[in-house]
Amino acid sequence: MRLDICYRTKFVFDAPARESQNELRACPASDGRQRLLGYRVLVEPSARMLSFTDYWGTRVDQFGVTDSHAELEVTAEASVETQDPPSFSREAPRRSLADPDFLDRHQEYLNPTRHTSWDEAMAAEARDLTGPDAHDAVGTAMHIADHVADRLSYQPGTTEIGQPITAILANGTGVCQDYAHLAVAMCRSVGMPARYVSGYLFSSSDRTGSIEGDLVRVQTHAWFEAAVPGQGWLALDPTNRLAVGRQHVKIGHGRDYGDVPPLRGVYSGPGVPRLEAAVEIRRMDPTRQPPAPMRPSLLAAVRAPRTRDQQQQQQQ
Amino acid sequence: MSVPGFFDEAADSSGRAREHYRTVQEWFDRLTPAQVSGLEEQRNESFRRQGITFTVYGGEEGTERTWPMDLFPRIIDASEWAVLERGLTQRITALNRFLDDIYAGEQAAVHEGIVPRRLITSSSGFEREAMNVSVPLGARCLVAGIDLVRGADGVYRVLEDNLRNPSGISYVIENRAAMTKLLPAVFSDMAVRSVDHYGRSLLRALRSVAPPACGDDPTVAVLTPGIFNSAYFEHAFLARSMGVELVEGRDLVVDDHVVAMRTTQGLERVDVIYRRIDDHFLDPVVFNPHSTLGVPGLMAATRAGTVTIANSVGNGVGDDKAVYAYVPELIRFYLGEEPIIPNADTYLLWEPDQRAEVLERLDELVVKPVAESGGYGIVIGPTATDAELAEAREKIVADPRNWIAQEVVGLSTLPAWAGDHFASRHIDLRPFVLCGEQAEVIPGGLTRVALREGSLIVNSSQGGGSKDTWVLGNPDPAAAPS
Repeated sequence: MRLDICYRTKFVFDAPARESQNELRACPASDGRQRLLGYRVLVEPSARMLSFTDYWGTRVDQFGVTDSHAELEVTAEASVETQDPPSFSREAPRRSLADPDFLDRHQEYLNPTRHTSWDEAMAAEARDLTGPDAHDAVGTAMHIADHVADRLSYQPGTTEIGQPITAILANGTGVCQDYAHLAVAMCRSVGMPARYVSGYLFSSSDRTGSIEGDLVRVQTHAWFEAAVPGQGWLALDPTNRLAVGRQHVKIGHGRDYGDVPPLRGVYSGPGVPRLEAAVEIRRMDPTRQPPAPMRPSLLAAVRAPRTRDQQQQQQQ
Repeated sequence: MSVPGFFDEAADSSGRAREHYRTVQEWFDRLTPAQVSGLEEQRNESFRRQGITFTVYGGEEGTERTWPMDLFPRIIDASEWAVLERGLTQRITALNRFLDDIYAGEQAAVHEGIVPRRLITSSSGFEREAMNVSVPLGARCLVAGIDLVRGADGVYRVLEDNLRNPSGISYVIENRAAMTKLLPAVFSDMAVRSVDHYGRSLLRALRSVAPPACGDDPTVAVLTPGIFNSAYFEHAFLARSMGVELVEGRDLVVDDHVVAMRTTQGLERVDVIYRRIDDHFLDPVVFNPHSTLGVPGLMAATRAGTVTIANSVGNGVGDDKAVYAYVPELIRFYLGEEPIIPNADTYLLWEPDQRAEVLERLDELVVKPVAESGGYGIVIGPTATDAELAEAREKIVADPRNWIAQEVVGLSTLPAWAGDHFASRHIDLRPFVLCGEQAEVIPGGLTRVALREGSLIVNSSQGGGSKDTWVLGNPDPAAAPS
């Protein structure tokens, strides 16, 4: 799928900021599943950009504005070509997660972090769900994703970033970051390496936005990936109960939100900023496939390895 | 006067002064207790006048004390020093290669199986924000302080590496200045190598890592957290001895990825920052967003290559005490040499077999947290209470990666003034190594002494003192005072 994405964030200060320094992580990744065709960043007031790739492989655009400014607008435009990911087999047994080399490579995706630290109650919930030998590695991740989708109800604007896992579970509500953090924490608690993914979703069923023809207006999205021995990272979207597919555009990944925030920075001055953020995604493909609908269960959708034909059948 | 079971630096097994201590020993032997006390009074007065103090945290009172320098110097003869100098140079060269390999290289040490990948990724000192930031000359650790101890066998061993912000060099220089005033006659009888060229050497090393594009006359500044920091005296001392500006974060501004300092003449570009602020306070954009000590945008400027920060961000992975256990292997790997100065015997507690052995023998070993320095958090098995041992056991089991254990190294002894007589006290040594275009070991270093009888804790933060450290030999003409 060919998608054009426009990410825009505007800070409006009630008293001008003297200085601001920012980092933008909005550029779609280039990996096996998606190809970046073009990307540019515009900042108003204008600023010199420093672009680099961070530890996690995400492109970062850094800029500072050192003149007094009452507004700061950041626009990132990207064109990207996406595909569905390869299907995963159910052959990797749970015990393969304990392989020492596998653990050594994935150590940083197994520990609790600021946004993914869990308590014994959550660990028990994850254990009950997956059982010590009940599932293979792929099944474990999908069960967790399904469970998170069942456990939470989506409520836009309910939380700020940084809601701890215990609060997510207690409230039973959240936004996509909370879904992703809970799934990551549950995977890690049962010994499955998992990482948080920041990205965009083109979908009529995404509850964060609206659709008009080939244009959707949404917010940035988040999902998670779990490491499957011998096969790589399995990407799942618990918020929408979707296997990650061509409508998902990945920006990057990290241990949690803190490693891949779309925009972070500091400003100086007495003012308080009001934030306006929006993402527009336009489908540029000549063939008009409708966006994927929601599924009753991730597991049902992903259980059997799918061919492209089968998937198109499901989508119709 | 020796303590049985420990190496006496000043006297041989028959109690006779060792050759290189003879002059000093005889000189002190001639003094009456009243004369020694008189010298101590002069010393205190001089330090007080100059404001040479340090702060003790965590005690009953967070107090400022005069620097306790014992009058009896530590002396290292030329041939012994030559070995230490080679060994320290070797070690810091390998550690710099390791740091540059991890942050700006191929991580060959990981790919070749010298260290497990998780050793790096689980280190709290591994700073992902420094990834792919290159440093001129690969000199990521420009100033190192490497702590040495000498066991009962007389062998020097490395106890820990300090690759982040090692402090204490100002005391080395102040101790020497005080001693030359107090004991001028002794100095005139002995060829003691100078240390007061340190400021020039440090400045030369800092300028050698300036960004290549900044020309022949790079501007250096010392970045301090401010006057409330316990080492502020040293920060001011170093800026003064280099003849460069001492700045705080608020004095610096980053514009278009270039760092400038506010001066009375306006903004002046800065090329090299000798920072004495911890990594996590350096830049609120990427680290602690609430830190007001740092400079917003500083990391991006570093990444852009317009400014060099020394020591580099992320060096904590190199002085992580679990990584320490691998340093002999890293020396073999990067340099193809055998380590000249050995490590103390160390157990990695995340290895189940080693952990089991350590938990059996907890009361015989020293347990240390991997990322602390300054003696904080250390549990010394033989002197710990049952409650302390139980607590240590609990912590080890809960987070084995965060702890190492070492065999107790019997610190060597030297006479120190105990109020009315000289008595043996335990000492260690922190030599300082500068790594610019080439490594330069400052002759001697900071000898720390546990002033309490029988104590093995030499940290000034824990009631330790210091001694002037003399390296004998023909003074290096290049290092002569100007």
